[in-house]
Amino acid sequence: MTVSKPQTRRQRRGWLRDLRRLALFVLRRTLALLVTVLMGVYLTIIIANMGGRVDEIRRVQIRSTIAEEVRASPEFSDLGAERRNDLIEERVQLEVERLNLDEPFIYRSFDYLNQAVRLNLGRAEQMTSDRGSRRVRDIITERLPATLVLFGTANLLVFFTAVFVALRLSRRYGSALDRTVIGLAPSSAAPGWFYGIFLILVFAFILPVLPAGGMLAVPPPQGTLAYALSVLQHMALPVAAMFISQIFISIYSWRTFFLIHASEDYVEMARAKGLPERAIERRYILRPTLAPIVTSFLLMLIGLWSGAIILEQVFNWPGLGTLLFQAIGHRDTPVIIGGVVIFAYLLAATVFVLDILYAILDPRVRVGPE
Amino acid sequence: MVAAALAAIGTPAPGASGSDPAGSEPSQRRGALVDRVVFTEESNPGKVVGQIETGARHVLAQGITNAVIHRQLLNARQVTFAVSYGSSAELTLNPAGPALADGSLNPFGVPAIREALNWLVDRQYIASELYGGLAEPRYLPLSTAFPDYARLAATARKLELAYSYQPERARRIITREMNALGARLRDGRWHYDGEPVRLKLLIRTEDARRQVGDYVANRLEAVDFAVDRLYRTADQAAPIWLASDPAAGKWHLYTGGWVSTVINRDQAQNFADFYTPRGRPSPLWQAYEPSDELDEIAQRLERRDYDSSAQRRELMIRALTLAMENSVRVWLVDQLNLWPHAANVELAVDLAGGVAGSRLWPYTLRFTDRVGGEVIVSSPSVLTDPWNPVAGTNWLYDQMMIRALQDAAVLPDPFTGLYWPQRLAGAEVTIVEDTPVQRTHDWLTLDRQAEITVPPDTWIAWDAGAGRFVTVGERYPEGLTARTRTRLRFEQGYLDRRWHDGTRMSLADMVLPWILEFARADEASALIDRSHVPTHETFREHFRGWRIVSREPLVVDVYSDQIYPDAETIVAARTPVVLPWHVLALGIRAETSGELAFSSDKADRRSVPWLSLVSGPSLPVLDRHREGALADGYVPFRRTLAEYVGESAPARRYRALGEWRAERDHYWVGDGPFYLESVHPVAGTLVLARFPDFPDRSDKWLRFTSVPIPEPAVDGPITVALDESARFRLSITSGGDPYPPEAIRTVSYLLFDGAGVLSHQGTAEPTDGGWRITLPRDRIETLGAGANRLEVTVRSDRVALPRFATHVFATIPADGELPQ
Repeated sequence: MTVSKPQTRRQRRGWLRDLRRLALFVLRRTLALLVTVLMGVYLTIIIANMGGRVDEIRRVQIRSTIAEEVRASPEFSDLGAERRNDLIEERVQLEVERLNLDEPFIYRSFDYLNQAVRLNLGRAEQMTSDRGSRRVRDIITERLPATLVLFGTANLLVFFTAVFVALRLSRRYGSALDRTVIGLAPSSAAPGWFYGIFLILVFAFILPVLPAGGMLAVPPPQGTLAYALSVLQHMALPVAAMFISQIFISIYSWRTFFLIHASEDYVEMARAKGLPERAIERRYILRPTLAPIVTSFLLMLIGLWSGAIILEQVFNWPGLGTLLFQAIGHRDTPVIIGGVVIFAYLLAATVFVLDILYAILDPRVRVGPE
Repeated sequence: MVAAALAAIGTPAPGASGSDPAGSEPSQRRGALVDRVVFTEESNPGKVVGQIETGARHVLAQGITNAVIHRQLLNARQVTFAVSYGSSAELTLNPAGPALADGSLNPFGVPAIREALNWLVDRQYIASELYGGLAEPRYLPLSTAFPDYARLAATARKLELAYSYQPERARRIITREMNALGARLRDGRWHYDGEPVRLKLLIRTEDARRQVGDYVANRLEAVDFAVDRLYRTADQAAPIWLASDPAAGKWHLYTGGWVSTVINRDQAQNFADFYTPRGRPSPLWQAYEPSDELDEIAQRLERRDYDSSAQRRELMIRALTLAMENSVRVWLVDQLNLWPHAANVELAVDLAGGVAGSRLWPYTLRFTDRVGGEVIVSSPSVLTDPWNPVAGTNWLYDQMMIRALQDAAVLPDPFTGLYWPQRLAGAEVTIVEDTPVQRTHDWLTLDRQAEITVPPDTWIAWDAGAGRFVTVGERYPEGLTARTRTRLRFEQGYLDRRWHDGTRMSLADMVLPWILEFARADEASALIDRSHVPTHETFREHFRGWRIVSREPLVVDVYSDQIYPDAETIVAARTPVVLPWHVLALGIRAETSGELAFSSDKADRRSVPWLSLVSGPSLPVLDRHREGALADGYVPFRRTLAEYVGESAPARRYRALGEWRAERDHYWVGDGPFYLESVHPVAGTLVLARFPDFPDRSDKWLRFTSVPIPEPAVDGPITVALDESARFRLSITSGGDPYPPEAIRTVSYLLFDGAGVLSHQGTAEPTDGGWRITLPRDRIETLGAGANRLEVTVRSDRVALPRFATHVFATIPADGELPQ
């Protein structure tokens, strides 16, 4: 079969039109996401600094800390009051200059934003990384592996178990197992750290067979295998806590989702045609629901970034959640912004990728007017 | 089986700590009494107590003030605890007014109302109920655990009784003063200018001060004030009470708290610090208006403007009375901090600083049932800031670990704060006449001279351009005098010791830190550090030079105008730091080349890493400089230092350091009873191992592992006829054993009559196996019939904390008839 020239031209015009639309779409989405990221980050800067009020708090803290250091130090105990107050003033001034608190907050806020959007995370103001670096990048990347390994394991476990079990349950609607899962779903109202406390009590103190917290044995074992085993051993309780907390509601949620799709007319039609269950599952249920599954999966993946503050605290896990907690406690704006800006970029990138994936996965999603 | 499985993957089974069978007695062993100490990060003290109970941890390096954990501790069979007294709680009052800027009334602008608050609050209730017994009532601006309180115990006791809980008296005074101010009581509330008098009480929420705040609010409401309870964290409260103008009336009371991590042997400064505008350059302090007398005495005490201990004592007694009348602060309690550890573990705990502030813990930590083994210590923070010995971390918990790695020339007594020699054979302190300094221990001498002339060859400054010390003769050709000369005689073979990397010490290790002290404050030096300059300038104000008198044995003279009341403290303040020069040399090279900086401030200004000798981005930089230094035979400040490098040729030192780095993966080299075996920053774990070449016997400091607090008990008649004399017996014990009589400094008593008026005071007389107080008939007669109280105060030479005992007895008429 041959294709006529006018038809080829029409096809080419069609591709060009599609490409143009796609480019416009990409541009529009990119700009929209960039603006969203900018707004999100700037809002974080404003909130983290309480609109500049943190400057006032910090100045008072600096003065108070230095005054107390000088007062308590025997080195300065015989200084006259005037000389001592001069010393306090000099040291306060140095610290104020170090933290650029002598600049108006509004200028600094745009400086923070400028550096953040360029992913120049800069230096922390108070904190240092565990290894002793002041660079925010080092501070964050040092904690990232611990968070990824713990929350990645738990979330992937929850996600795939939930999808797999939910798919099965959607076919055994009303069975004893189905009713049990529905009955247990409210147990997810309690967060992971809540179960963590009980697990620690039972497995670390009453039995005791597992460690109560931390990421490694004390002292850390030598050798890669022993090291890996030790990490696994320390992960057991937090992963179990997260799993217990999330699994039933996840199964319930996916099961309901699959049930809705399983009762669509085209699925009934397939059943009526006598197609095997696995084929129905794969072609008529999973495929149309792939977009939400992928969305959920990707959002879960980027959700790993933030860790979980309380869970990490309960299990003394050296992850990003603990880091964020410490950064907020120290009011270390660059570290807080660093964590947020990376999350914002990851979120924006994920949304962008999802927009493209939707178009690929679901033919009903089209770009622009027909 | 479970234990075996856990052990296989590196987790010791509960209770398993291993031990070294060799050297089964502390006296047969050298250095630390345990083989390894592992520090690990854990911020939940309740969890750690549980871990100590199961044997997974042994010591918690965090003070506990929580009553719930206190109960947990009392119920734990494998856990015990030590007690420290370093923190206190008080009510800070806004003294502005009484008329504030907005026209409202601030009752606390009137000293009499402030003073009345002392009678309004029941400190005993606060200590026992609100703090769950983890506090002791405090009335005065002196910590009840520190030596000044013990020295003034009798006066303190009198004042405490005078200011004890008397709510009706408080109400009477407040009513009188409020009426005098023009306020009127209407509908059960004070009103001023037609408006209710509302007191803004800033209540800290992080600890028991929340309950204290509520209690104080209730008490104020009970005397007819309307109270706004403003619950705030430290961050939220600070801008209000510290930074706002008191006359603006944003607050009236604040639940304050203070912490001391060392035993402060001279609290005379407290009057100026807490009651006069000289305390701080903050708006609140500038609002203080002490009486002329209080202001003058505070200033004299601050300047140490007195000739003798007796004169100081008189000034302190008067200042205490005036401070209570002024009462811009109402002291409430001295808080107790509990430091849990396993029942089979022992260590010296500082009376003020607890475990984390203890200087002797590395020398005393041990299992009571064996020698050796591994102790696991939980700390709220590990490697909080970068470690370097010049301007590195200053965090309490980091310092606790570092203290195990560095040996000190003198170490403070954990119970009195007085220093004992560790690497000194002796010291001679010479002071100019009429300087109020006292000596307690006999390992040092104290002499007085009319004038102390600083020898011309003494080093007094550093010439960064020329790279050499400047002598007194050059800087002060007309001569220079000082208020003190401290001659430090180091022990024989002091410099024959070895650093942890195996290199032998040299005088350069002592001289280089001196050079750095000056060079880091010198504009002409590449090591200039702005953050060091203010502190250095203060040091220069009293520093009058130092010189090496003899090299073997090492004798050093230090001249200074700085005075402390205790000669032991003067020696400690003058003792030079000793640090491995080859390690400092790498830091000096790195800072000079602009790649690293010793201090946080300089690192931030230059956007380079803050130098850490133990981990992080500093290590590769130091590696490079070590190789460069080895190749160049680098000696910092060579012109001066070369003379002192001695046998320790640079190449040998740098090679040893390279091997150390390869083996240990860090650059921290010390001379303490432990060396830093390994660092695991992200896991929050540090491992210290016993330094086998440590020169001292392991039992050298073991006498400080139990606090010798005297426990007095008075026994005597319950009724005494007015025509009889009375005799009371006093026994003093500690931990159930009789207290050594030679360690008791004084046993004094106060006798109060039925009206609570001090009738008589005196001292007890020692007897065989105890003490005796005899009250002759004429003393008894002056009491009149009624219930009397005998208050006994015991002071010991071995602990700063005075202890009290009370005996209540009735005096009855001579005819035996009891009064109606």
